[in-house]
Amino acid sequence: MTKWDKYLIVLILVMSISSMFYIKNMVTGQGDKYISVEVNGREYKKITFDNDKTIKYLDIKTKYGYNKLEIQNGKVRVVEASCPDQLDVKQGFIKNVGEVIVCLPNRMVVEIKSEKNLEDNIDAGSY
Amino acid sequence: MNLKKLMFLSLLISSGLILSIIENMIPIPIPIPGVKLGLANVVFLLTLVLFGFKEAMIVVIIRGLTMSLATGNVSAVIYSLPSSMISTVVMAIVYKYFSKYFSLIGVSLFGAVAFNTVQVGIASLIMQNVKIFSYLPIMILTSVFTGCFIGLTAKEAKNKIKISLENI
Repeated sequence: MTKWDKYLIVLILVMSISSMFYIKNMVTGQGDKYISVEVNGREYKKITFDNDKTIKYLDIKTKYGYNKLEIQNGKVRVVEASCPDQLDVKQGFIKNVGEVIVCLPNRMVVEIKSEKNLEDNIDAGSY
Repeated sequence: MNLKKLMFLSLLISSGLILSIIENMIPIPIPIPGVKLGLANVVFLLTLVLFGFKEAMIVVIIRGLTMSLATGNVSAVIYSLPSSMISTVVMAIVYKYFSKYFSLIGVSLFGAVAFNTVQVGIASLIMQNVKIFSYLPIMILTSVFTGCFIGLTAKEAKNKIKISLENI
């Protein structure tokens, strides 16, 4: 093993480990997260996060009530609701996969879900 | 191509086949598709060192085609054959022009990186999904260890085979 071999090994190790962290941040940061809005147990709307930092609003009007969602930069909250207790408004932003906002009177559930990646399904035998 | 060379190349092809078949029987502790030891690369590297680039390409192509016949897995050829061809090209270039800097371990590492990059590229082309490239760093990370192992094995085997090659 020459000294150039050692340089090469160190270079590849550093590059692969650093890009692994970079990709991990990228994937968990935005990428495959999406907001799933359920009303009365059925999926009402699916919203994917995009990278722009503008604030967007979404009105959810059903026969159970009215909610207004505010979506910005990878997080979401309820800003207005027709329910009496306003618990969903008080809860504030959610941003991580698995977090939910529930508005029981309006039968609305806002959940952040993660798309199962296609590459998880590759058959190992096909390589 | 004389008879001695022909015989030796076919021996190399068949040992490459047998090495891959034996390798498939060894369970991999890492649950990532595509990560494997790649023992057949020992044979490619040896052919490159003992005979040259043209012969190495012949061994790579025939071994890739016969591998699909031996295992019955034709789709694996789409992934492995272009990858090993390009990795052999890279190894030949590094061996020819940079062998005063890199030993066979370095040559094998270059080949391993090229192999994984092409393989992930083909996978993302077939799956129509660029996200597969997020596998590349971890595959290259494991290929550092397998590449070192293969380079070491080829280095040890090279001297012994050279002696027997001269004695035939």
